[in-house]
Amino acid sequence: MSVYQINKILYLTDNDGNFRKRMKEEPQSVLKEFRLSDEERDALISGAVGKLYQMGVHTFLLNHLYRYELFGVNRDNYLSRIREGMDYDPRFEQGNMPVQRFVKQ
Amino acid sequence: MAKLVLAAGVPHPPRLVYEMVQSPGKMRGEALMKQVREQVEKAEPDLIIEVDSDHFVNFFYNNLPAFCVGMAEEAEGPQETWCPMPRYRVRGHVPMAKALLRHGMNAKFDLAAAHELRLDHSLVVPLHFLNPSMELPVIPIYTNGFASPLPLATRCFALGGLLRRFIEAWEGKERVALIASGCFAMDVGGPLRGWTDTEWVETISRLLLQGKYQTLARRATEERINAAGNNSGELLNWITVTGAVGKTKPLFLEGDEGSGYAVWKFD
Repeated sequence: MSVYQINKILYLTDNDGNFRKRMKEEPQSVLKEFRLSDEERDALISGAVGKLYQMGVHTFLLNHLYRYELFGVNRDNYLSRIREGMDYDPRFEQGNMPVQRFVKQ
Repeated sequence: MAKLVLAAGVPHPPRLVYEMVQSPGKMRGEALMKQVREQVEKAEPDLIIEVDSDHFVNFFYNNLPAFCVGMAEEAEGPQETWCPMPRYRVRGHVPMAKALLRHGMNAKFDLAAAHELRLDHSLVVPLHFLNPSMELPVIPIYTNGFASPLPLATRCFALGGLLRRFIEAWEGKERVALIASGCFAMDVGGPLRGWTDTEWVETISRLLLQGKYQTLARRATEERINAAGNNSGELLNWITVTGAVGKTKPLFLEGDEGSGYAVWKFD
């Protein structure tokens, strides 16, 4: 397990402009620079937020997937994706608002 | 000796800054921030000590202290490009931060120190409202509110006590405002986003209003905090501040569905 590596990829995406540009333009090649298991790489590339969450990736860092619209994740599908694999919870009903739309710069 | 003239806590939703510009006068948070700001202005502080939890902007898992003092002469933020608000340059107070570090070491409180800082929205949003001209220098105190294992809330409370003793032992005559940045309980971008743990928020509000700060610190276990949503560790910043207020009860407190606003006055 190299959840640390996934966390690091997402941390760098938010904090390093050049890294972020590469993540947008050539994500597959960027991922090769990190020690990821096949399962982890597949989860990232398919935008499987729920699976990444279950693996223990920090939610604050997962948020960058929708903020920067990586691997098909966006503000409209983020919540349903992070809940994938979870049992239904009535608290979901209170939290169905879409996640915040940020101002693109 | 310096003097603690005010303590306060406010949340730091970046959307509040943005939405206030879009529709001024309509947000509840705007009115509450104004209420806190008026008290800050009345207290006439010379300096702010802000207790905050970095959101993976200044710190990451490669090096993540439980507690850290910001020692930078100045720092800029918010650094997050997605954050819809003005960018600021915030001055520090290096001599006092250095003295705090030393004071902590001598009291067996081994704080980390950061001489360079990248400020995130959680540090800057409260200052945008409470120190809008950025005239007052700011000493950031970081607590690890997010990356498990969290420091014990009782330890945060003890840190608050250390801060109070340091302020009163400091050689200068500064009037100090101590500000907690963060919510009581909330989920932002976790699976429970939008849900509020009303029971926990009401418990926190009640214990704060009653001045039962140590009871709150004992009850705020990591398990209880995490059950209230992924952003709920910010309560540790509030608990740190309550460790500094002694027996004083809040002048006002508003739970605002988990956001949390309060002021303590000492004059």
